[in-house]
Amino acid sequence: MSTEQKKHFERLADAVFELDEDLSRQLSIEVIERGYDAWDAIEFGLLAGVNRAGKLFDEEEYFVPELLIAADAMYSGLEILRPHIKQQFTGHSRKVVIGVVQGDTHDIGKNLVRIMLEVSGFEVHDLGRDVPPHKFVERAIEIKADLIALSTLMTTTMERMSDVVKLLESQNVRNHFKVIVGGSPLSQQFSDRIGADGYAAKAAQAVQLAKRLTGLENAA
Amino acid sequence: MTVAVHTQQREALTSLERVVLALQYKKPDRVPAAPLVCGASCRVLGYSYDRWSQDPNIAVASLLAAQELIGFDGFLTLVDLSVEAEDFGQEVIFPERSTALPNFDNPFIRSAEDYSKVKAVDPRKSRRMSTVIEVVRGLIEAKGKEVPTMGFVYGPLGVLSQIRGHAELFKDIIRHPDRVLEAVHTINGVLVEYAKAQIEAGAHAIVLDPLYSSASILKKETWVKFEAEIFKSVADAIRDAGVPVLVHNCGGGVYFDAVMEHINPIAISHAYPAHGSATWEDHAANWAKKVVTIGVADPAKVGHEFSQEQVLEDSRQQIETFKVAEGGFILSSGCEFPPNGNLLSARTMVDAAKRYGRY
Repeated sequence: MSTEQKKHFERLADAVFELDEDLSRQLSIEVIERGYDAWDAIEFGLLAGVNRAGKLFDEEEYFVPELLIAADAMYSGLEILRPHIKQQFTGHSRKVVIGVVQGDTHDIGKNLVRIMLEVSGFEVHDLGRDVPPHKFVERAIEIKADLIALSTLMTTTMERMSDVVKLLESQNVRNHFKVIVGGSPLSQQFSDRIGADGYAAKAAQAVQLAKRLTGLENAA
Repeated sequence: MTVAVHTQQREALTSLERVVLALQYKKPDRVPAAPLVCGASCRVLGYSYDRWSQDPNIAVASLLAAQELIGFDGFLTLVDLSVEAEDFGQEVIFPERSTALPNFDNPFIRSAEDYSKVKAVDPRKSRRMSTVIEVVRGLIEAKGKEVPTMGFVYGPLGVLSQIRGHAELFKDIIRHPDRVLEAVHTINGVLVEYAKAQIEAGAHAIVLDPLYSSASILKKETWVKFEAEIFKSVADAIRDAGVPVLVHNCGGGVYFDAVMEHINPIAISHAYPAHGSATWEDHAANWAKKVVTIGVADPAKVGHEFSQEQVLEDSRQQIETFKVAEGGFILSSGCEFPPNGNLLSARTMVDAAKRYGRY
C-alpha cells in the first residue's frame, strides 16, 4: 500500500471518527476514482474510524449520539465502496439475526450491538424493533444464521425472548442457532431460565459473547 | 369501586407521616417501602393494561386495591412514558397486556423540519395528561390523608424522544441542535402547567424523570444544555407551589452532581449507583446524606427472578447499606415494579421493611 493510499485511508478514518458523513462519502468516492482497493479502504478507513469511536464510547468520551453518527458516517462510505470490493471478502462469514422483541421499540442498545458486530465482521440481519417471535425464527432459518440476538429494555417484554426459544424448540431447530439476550432488565439468571445461550450486559461484551459462541473466540 | 381486602396491621404512623419524615432525614418508625407498583396494579382487579392506562377510574380503583393488598407507602402516578407524547400528537399503541408505546413506524416528527410541528397543548384538557391529573385527584380523595401520592412528569427531552424516535433525536442533537432546543422549550412550557395541574389535584410531591441525565446515553454537558437548564423551570414551579421535587431516573450512571445542581430534588429514585460510584457502598458514602435515596432493588430480579427469601435478603441488604443515610431512605424498586411481575414480591419488600427497617 502506497503512502498516498495510507494517508487517504487515514483521512477516511478521521472522517468517520469526527462524525463527518459527507466527507466519508466523498473520500469513498475518491477511493474508487483513484483505483484504490475498496476492501482496504473499508478496513483501514471506515472500520478503523468507527473502532476509534467505539473505544472512546467505552471510555465515556463519546456517548450514544456520537457513536450513532459515526456509524452513519461509516455506512455512507460503505454504500459507495461495497459494490467495488474486488475479491469477495466475507469476513468470517458468521451470520446474526438481531432485533428488539415484540412490544418494545427501544432500539438504541440493539443498534449499538449491530454496529459492533458488523465492525467485527459478522453479517448482521437487523429485523428492527417490535419483532414477533416467528419473524426471528423464520429469518434465522432462511439465511442459515449462526446466532440470534434478542434485545429489550422493558420488563413487560422480557418473556417474548422466552417465546423465541420455545418456538425454536417447537420447530426442532433450537440446536441450529445460538441465542443471546441483552437489555437493561436482564441478567444471566434470566438468560439461564429461558434457555438462552448467553447474556451480555454491554454492547462490547455482546460481541465477545457472539465470537465465543460461534467459535471465533480468538478472531480479530 | 372499593375493595374490602383488609390485610394490613395498624402501625404507629400513617404512610404519609412515615414518608414525610424520611424525606426530611428524620427517622420514622421504620424504613418506608414503596416498590413503585404502577401498571402492575391493573392485575389486582383484573383489568387489562390498556384500560388501566386510559381510564382514570380504573387506574384509581386498581392502585387503591394494590395498596390495600401490598401495603406500600406511596402512590406514584407513572402510567407510562407515552402519556405526554400522545398529547403532542404522537400515535400510541396500547397492548392489552403490556405498557403503551409510541408507534415509531409513524413518528410525529419525521424530519428535522418537523420539530416546529410541536405546539403547546393544555394538559388539563389533553386526553392522556388530563387522565393522569384525574388519577392524582382520585387517589388524593380516597387516601390523601394516609398515603402520599406523587405525581409524575417525564422530562422534555424524554418526551421529545417519544415523538421523534430515540436514535433520531440523539443524532439530531448533534446535527440540528437549535431545532431540538426549540421543541424542548415548547414541551417544557407544557410540563410546567402539567406539574401545576397535578399539584392542584392534590399531589403531595412531583417526581421528575430526566431519563437522559445518564452516562449510558449522553455526555453530562449535553444533558445540561438540552434538558437540565430548561427542565429546571418545572422544578422551580413545583417548589414555588410549596410542593417537594423528587427525581426518578432508572438509567445507568446518573449524573447526581448535575441533577442536584439543576433540578435540586430532595430525593432521587434510581436503579444504579451514581456516575462515579463503583458500588452501592461507594454510592451510599458519597450521596446518601446529600439527597434521600429511593430504591434500589433491581425490578426485574425482584419481580421475575427472586424467591421470596431472596427478596427479603435483598431488601435487608439495601436497608443495611443505606443505614448511613440516617433515616433518609425509602426502600423501593429502582424502576417501576414490573407490570407482569410477582406482586407477592412487592408485598415481601414491605414485609422486609417492617422486619429489618425498624429505627
